[in-house]
Amino acid sequence: MPRPTDTIAALATPAGTAALAVIRVSGPDTPQLARDLFGNAPPPRVMRHADYRECDGALLDDVLVTFFAGPHSYSGEDSLEISGHGNPFIAQKILEDLYARGCRPAEPGEFTQRAFLNGRMDLSQAEAVMDLIHARSERALAAANQQLRGALGRRMTVLVDTLLGVLARVEAYIDFPEEDLPAEDRESVAQTLQRLAVETDRLLATSHYGELLRDGIKTVIIGAPNAGKSSLLNRLVGHERAIVSAEPGTTRDFIEERLIVGAHALRLIDTAGLNPAPATLEKLGIEKTFERIAEADLLLLVLDATQPAPPLSPPLLARIGNKTTLVVLNKTDLLSGSSPTKTPAGLKVVRVSALTGAGWEDLTAAITEQADAFQPEIGDELVAINARHAQALARAREGLGSARNKVTANEPVELLASDLRGVLEAFGEISGKIDNERMLDQLFATFCIGK
Amino acid sequence: MIVCGAGHAGVEAALAAARMGASTLLLTGNIDTIAQMSCNPAIGGQAKGQMVREIDALGGEMAINTDVTGIQFRLLNESKGPAVQSPRAQCDKKAYQFRLKHTLELQANLQIFQATVTRLIYQSGRVIGCQTNLDIDFHGKTVVVTTGTFLRGLMHIGQNKNEGGRLGDFSARTLSASFLEAGIELQRLKTGTPPRLLGRSLDFSRMDEQKGDVAPTLFAFHDTRSKDDLFHVEQSSERRIGWVPGENQVSCWVTYTTPQTAEIVRANLHKSAMYSGEIEGIGPRYCPSIEDKFVRFADKPRHMLFLEPEGRSTNEYYVNGLSTSLPFDVQLEMVHSIPGLEQAVLLRPAYAVEYDFAPPTQLFPSLESKKVENLFFAGQINGSSGYEEAASQGLVAGVNAVNKARGVAPLIIQRHEGYIGVLIDDLVTKGTREPYRMFTSRAEHRLLFNHGSAELRLLAHAKNHNLLDNNRLKLIETKKERVEHWVKWLEQSSTIGGTWATAIRRVTGQEGVGSLALPNEFLREPSTVRDEVMYRVRYAGYLDREHRHIVKLSEVEKIKIPPNLDFLSIRGLRRESALKLAEFKPYTLGQASRISGVNPSDISVLMIMIEAGRGGTGQKV
Ligand SMILES: Nc1nc2c(ncn2[C@@H]2O[C@H](COP(=O)(O)OP(=O)(O)OP(=O)(O)O)[C@@H](O)[C@H]2O)c(=O)[nH]1
Ligand SMILES: [Mg+2]
Repeated sequence: MPRPTDTIAALATPAGTAALAVIRVSGPDTPQLARDLFGNAPPPRVMRHADYRECDGALLDDVLVTFFAGPHSYSGEDSLEISGHGNPFIAQKILEDLYARGCRPAEPGEFTQRAFLNGRMDLSQAEAVMDLIHARSERALAAANQQLRGALGRRMTVLVDTLLGVLARVEAYIDFPEEDLPAEDRESVAQTLQRLAVETDRLLATSHYGELLRDGIKTVIIGAPNAGKSSLLNRLVGHERAIVSAEPGTTRDFIEERLIVGAHALRLIDTAGLNPAPATLEKLGIEKTFERIAEADLLLLVLDATQPAPPLSPPLLARIGNKTTLVVLNKTDLLSGSSPTKTPAGLKVVRVSALTGAGWEDLTAAITEQADAFQPEIGDELVAINARHAQALARAREGLGSARNKVTANEPVELLASDLRGVLEAFGEISGKIDNERMLDQLFATFCIGK
Repeated sequence: MIVCGAGHAGVEAALAAARMGASTLLLTGNIDTIAQMSCNPAIGGQAKGQMVREIDALGGEMAINTDVTGIQFRLLNESKGPAVQSPRAQCDKKAYQFRLKHTLELQANLQIFQATVTRLIYQSGRVIGCQTNLDIDFHGKTVVVTTGTFLRGLMHIGQNKNEGGRLGDFSARTLSASFLEAGIELQRLKTGTPPRLLGRSLDFSRMDEQKGDVAPTLFAFHDTRSKDDLFHVEQSSERRIGWVPGENQVSCWVTYTTPQTAEIVRANLHKSAMYSGEIEGIGPRYCPSIEDKFVRFADKPRHMLFLEPEGRSTNEYYVNGLSTSLPFDVQLEMVHSIPGLEQAVLLRPAYAVEYDFAPPTQLFPSLESKKVENLFFAGQINGSSGYEEAASQGLVAGVNAVNKARGVAPLIIQRHEGYIGVLIDDLVTKGTREPYRMFTSRAEHRLLFNHGSAELRLLAHAKNHNLLDNNRLKLIETKKERVEHWVKWLEQSSTIGGTWATAIRRVTGQEGVGSLALPNEFLREPSTVRDEVMYRVRYAGYLDREHRHIVKLSEVEKIKIPPNLDFLSIRGLRRESALKLAEFKPYTLGQASRISGVNPSDISVLMIMIEAGRGGTGQKV
């Protein structure tokens, strides 16, 4: 039996929010990958704490890592288990990073298949696992098909048909040089490729939105101690989830709740107050809050309307940076005149009272508006792709760019065709394998071939 | 072994078998039409030209036969990259035939005999011989059937119908029944051919001339570049047919249909056999009749036609592009509406022909029938079209019929090794709805298939199956060494501003390479070596990409599926896939993965099953 040559990665725990998300990596590149990710080679079978950083160095999560040297692993190959915090968003990010580092998304049942091939399981065990996986993959397939019948499918059909049209136009000149074909029109090929690239980009842009849809918009409440952050969370979720007290520094750990605002799912996270002059112990907490800010899709900056606005510390300002931020001016019930608070320039402000509920409609409207803005501009249809789709589309995008360069540089047409076929294959990973017959159908429909 | 039929498939099958040392009988209904070009008198062209070179690389006869009977040579796509350049030749139709007939007559271990096969003789699921119209029975260990369009062949000219596989020839009527009896399914296909005209009735001054290349690109790899060497191979003492390749080339002529032609065709559409529903078979999309062209591309003002001479010692011309099943009087009127053909005399009318074919998914990749052991099929009976496609299959079927009789593993060319591999895999895995013609676009690894590399790509197969003599093997091996040596050298040795290879990739065009002052030692290599080296260096990035892709794919390609595996009893396999697999009986996991409707998790399940059976049946190809 041939040894697999590629390294695969996938979520080993069921998708969704669990206490723990375990990502499994298996294959010959695993030791190198472990070294790249976590420094020196980890000793086998010892669980270690480590920071998971993306290719560009950004911290994703602190994780538990275990390295298994083949053949003493589930799959019988060198493999790695990475346990994160059960946050599907982060798990997804880690997977995407692993793909960027050269891993391939595992097919359903592929770990088991490798385990079996490496003699780690007998046939009956493997069959039992495969039965299970098969049932699951059928469901996944059904789900995927459902999506393919829907908006994504329609988009893909347009993309594939357009590409087949270009390919047919290119192939005709390769395969039928003797025919009386109209003059080659490289300009229109270039234009169509450009259109395809734009459309592919649009679909790619929905990748993050897909996560937002599945996992919720990560909304982080920040502000000075005692500004009323926990009160805000409680009123938004509709019950006393977080402890509220007149004592500053009440909230120490993060509190997370899910809720629906308008058509959007939100993951609301309450944080410890940001003290402009923190004590040493507080500093640690602030660091943690900064990490949450980094992952946030939406920030709710709570200010106490009765206080002059405390200056935002430069590191905080830097972190808020380009995040979508909504300023919530709280405790307006205590105001008689105008508020002494100076709100940061350029940000939308809503005036509320977490105590009385005043201004609540404005608040939910403002949140909905911000959430709507996350929806990528892709007509009125709702499309959201997953990480596997994104990986294929990214490859397609690369191929389209390279193809277009070849057209402009007037490079040999068979090389252009080679790029286009790569793109077609990538599209095929989403829409199902595309047989060459379909290209030929287009070719013979477009050109009168046949001497 | 016995070969039934002496068309382009049959002659390659018989020659390959006899050259491998097997005692071979070639049966044909008419010895005078051996290797007849029933359609246009040309060999090669896009993808087909590469296939002919592959046939040559495997010891076949088509290449050399074309070289010495060719009357015009052209390299197509010369302005494009090497991978898609294809040699093409017009041949002297009679010389082509006679030379092949002579070759067969002189071939040791081979006997030709004129008789029409009427039935196959079966015994417990195997074929053991055949009966003929002369009531003489023949027995053999294996039988190769290459009956072309002759199975229940029916020709249409308007409402006129004639039985036969080709104008003037017979139809094999009873053989179809003999296949059905063995459980082999048959279906109908259709093809057509244009009229033939008398040259002296044509006005060539009204047409555009198309000349051959001054420096012809030939098909055979060895000894064809120098005249002396050629005659060395040709053993001129024995051969009297053919001439020095590329000498005294003749021209083809180009003309166009007129609005009047279109009008005539439209007015008579209802009389066309195809448009009046007389024909049930499916015709090819790439070779539409003139009726189809005017109907489907109504806004195209004119259609191009080529007049191709049928030989040096005949005045007959083939009108490429004017295939039709309109009645004779309409054909005449139509021809006369074309510039240069106003006074044309028709020697033979155009006609459409319908015939039985046996859907090729009933075959193993060795081209042996899945239904009847020791029975092999090649050529148009498998649903293909074209001399080159037929010859390729004939060669493989002939080799494998011998291998089968000897208990040796079959010759199976992979999809990444050549067009022949793509052809056979497509046929046996996917089948075909129309007469299957090769296009370069069908090959996913087209970039590796430059025609010059055919003998390097197929060397291992030629060696394994003893298809070439030692002298030639040595020549190819030396060429391979030289090519590999120089590629390595150019990639590693430095010149100004980097390695030679990067310098080559930087400059564009042939002229640019000339400015590089490559080492003399390299320039002294034969051009076949230099061309291949330059191709590999210049396109290294692309070729690497192809090779990486192949490595990935070949993992599943290597895993053989035991022939007796009961797909329907495999747990975890979806019912739909199990049925498909049971129907197609794939040979390797790679083939299974190309069957439509079989998905990756089915392949995983299969892989596990096969691995489990490894103790006993599983084996690598
Ligand atoms: N009058 C009034 N009081 C409020 C309002 N919102 C919060 N408070 C009060 O302000 C105090 C602090 O509220 P919290 O919600 O605990 O504030 P916090 O920002 O979570 O504080 P830390 O967790 O300590 O950082 C409590 O006594 C609340 O009752 C409001 O809108 N109006
Ligand atoms: Mg709090």
